[in-house]
Amino acid sequence: MFFGASEFDITKAQAHNDATKRLSQVVIRVHDLHKYFQVPIRQRGRFSALRSLLVRRHRLVKAVNGVSFQIGRGELVGYLGPNGAGKSTTIKMLTGLLVPTHGEISVNGRIPWKQREEHVKSLGAVFGFRSTLWWDLPVIESLELLRYIYDVPLARFKDNLREFRKILEMDAFINTPVRSLSLGQRVRADVCAALLHDPSLLFLDEPTIGLDVVAKERIRQFILHANRQRGTTVLLTTHDLSDVEKMCQRVMIIDRGKLLYDGQLESLRQRFGGKRELVVELVDEEDQISIEGAIVTSRQGAQVMFQFDRDQISASELIQRISSNYRIRDLSVREPDLEATIRRIYEQRLLEDAV
Amino acid sequence: MRVYWEIAKRALSRQLTYRTATLAGLATNFYFGLLRAAVMAALYGARAQVDGISLQAAITYTGLAQSLIAVISLLGWFEVMRSINKGEISSDLLRPIGYFKFWLAQDLGKAAAQLALRGIPLMLGYALFFDILLPQTLWHWLAVFLALGLAVLLSFSWRFLVNLVGFWVTDATSIGRVVYIFSWFLSGFLMPLRFFPDWFVRLCYLTPFPHTINTIVEIYLGVLTPGQMLRALLLQLAWFVGLTLACSWVLRRGIRHLVIQGG
Repeated sequence: MFFGASEFDITKAQAHNDATKRLSQVVIRVHDLHKYFQVPIRQRGRFSALRSLLVRRHRLVKAVNGVSFQIGRGELVGYLGPNGAGKSTTIKMLTGLLVPTHGEISVNGRIPWKQREEHVKSLGAVFGFRSTLWWDLPVIESLELLRYIYDVPLARFKDNLREFRKILEMDAFINTPVRSLSLGQRVRADVCAALLHDPSLLFLDEPTIGLDVVAKERIRQFILHANRQRGTTVLLTTHDLSDVEKMCQRVMIIDRGKLLYDGQLESLRQRFGGKRELVVELVDEEDQISIEGAIVTSRQGAQVMFQFDRDQISASELIQRISSNYRIRDLSVREPDLEATIRRIYEQRLLEDAV
Repeated sequence: MRVYWEIAKRALSRQLTYRTATLAGLATNFYFGLLRAAVMAALYGARAQVDGISLQAAITYTGLAQSLIAVISLLGWFEVMRSINKGEISSDLLRPIGYFKFWLAQDLGKAAAQLALRGIPLMLGYALFFDILLPQTLWHWLAVFLALGLAVLLSFSWRFLVNLVGFWVTDATSIGRVVYIFSWFLSGFLMPLRFFPDWFVRLCYLTPFPHTINTIVEIYLGVLTPGQMLRALLLQLAWFVGLTLACSWVLRRGIRHLVIQGG
């Protein structure tokens, strides 16, 4: 890996402090937001095509169904949910591309869809699966055009571009047409383009989709940089949970149009993380191993794996109990990974009664 | 304003990168031009003039019509429709910039490139093969280019309007194609409108189409009096303004439909 875990912990802690400081300023305010769509139903049976041409029947889909949250200046929030949960619909309403069916929404004190042109000046947006750059122009041409579109002062533009080129390592392809870029390069160019005009708010819709590990890491570093150094408020939707683990302190989980969880990532993990594991390598091979408060899930020679519940016993307590009975050579604690946690939440609908 | 100039510049340089396509297009336009000139010569036979147009003027007309194809995207232009259907419009709406003006600037840049790469070279090629008519005074040339500029603006407006159907109909290219094919007749692209009966010409002039090609041709060939010429230019302008207003009205409704119904 390129960046040690410890480095990330520090950055996250810093960002967290900054975020709490700035939280007094609310940037995004969403209250009881609803968005319904009329979706035509395909008719079946005889003359179905003709009938659906004459009489259209519709089904009401509640894409977003009563969502409320607030995001403070400088926060970096992960917005999670399975496909079709209502993530993109929420983002579209926040960017002014959709009008809510019901409810209140205010971003930077503006109502996005009412004052769209004014609103989008202070926005940056990256869609991982679609480029917002001009297909057959060299990257630099697109970026320069954005300077005119957002009316960025030349000095500011040059400073930003110099800085972003360095962090995103864009020198190699700055003169290449967008259509000839690799996916990783294209996303880097898109992320750069989204931040050139110093937006106060950045929307990222699956920015790391389809990227390799190195490219993902580079994008994450850059987003963290923008968030920390520039105080850019970031709302990130993703299916890649390592994005969330490495960048966000706060997560919101939406499913079937309803917000299921809004809070610290850590407490989500604690509440729904399930069992932790302790791997112990003993000095001697023992015949019988049993420890109160934990169960042995597997054994390979002197290596024993325990599973335990964080509510019942702490890791240090468990280690004490083991070491008072056996001689330990080595040990490690394994946290349940976020992926498994979220999967459990989706599949078992753990949060449905919780909120 | 500067931003639209920059957009137009980039659209122009974008066209310059498609060298092979441009060359192929030029060759095709030129080939069909020669064919049309030959047909015209055969139709004229021994007659010196038909409906006030000499054979020399008729051949010049075929060159003009062919060189305008790419400049005013006569064969069809569905980029906005495609952008709406594919949802790319969302990215454009996230920019603080007028959607109509954004596309107009691109179209003007593209038109300038097509004029330089296909329109003018084709007329020069014609001058090698035929004894074509040329405007003799500076004023005449000015009038021709003014008419051309207005024709590009006006043609953009109606093409944009057709494309906006995409807000309500998924893949409306077939609807669009019908309009384009109509425009070939009504604009005087297939035949000079003077060859048709008066009632038909009057019908044509109820549409915006003759103000594109036919107006340029008649001004170029000098068959209009100065008064008629001024009237023709003003009519072009009026159609452009009217169609642009229609575009912005429909566009507003389209965007409202999009933001309520979703992409």
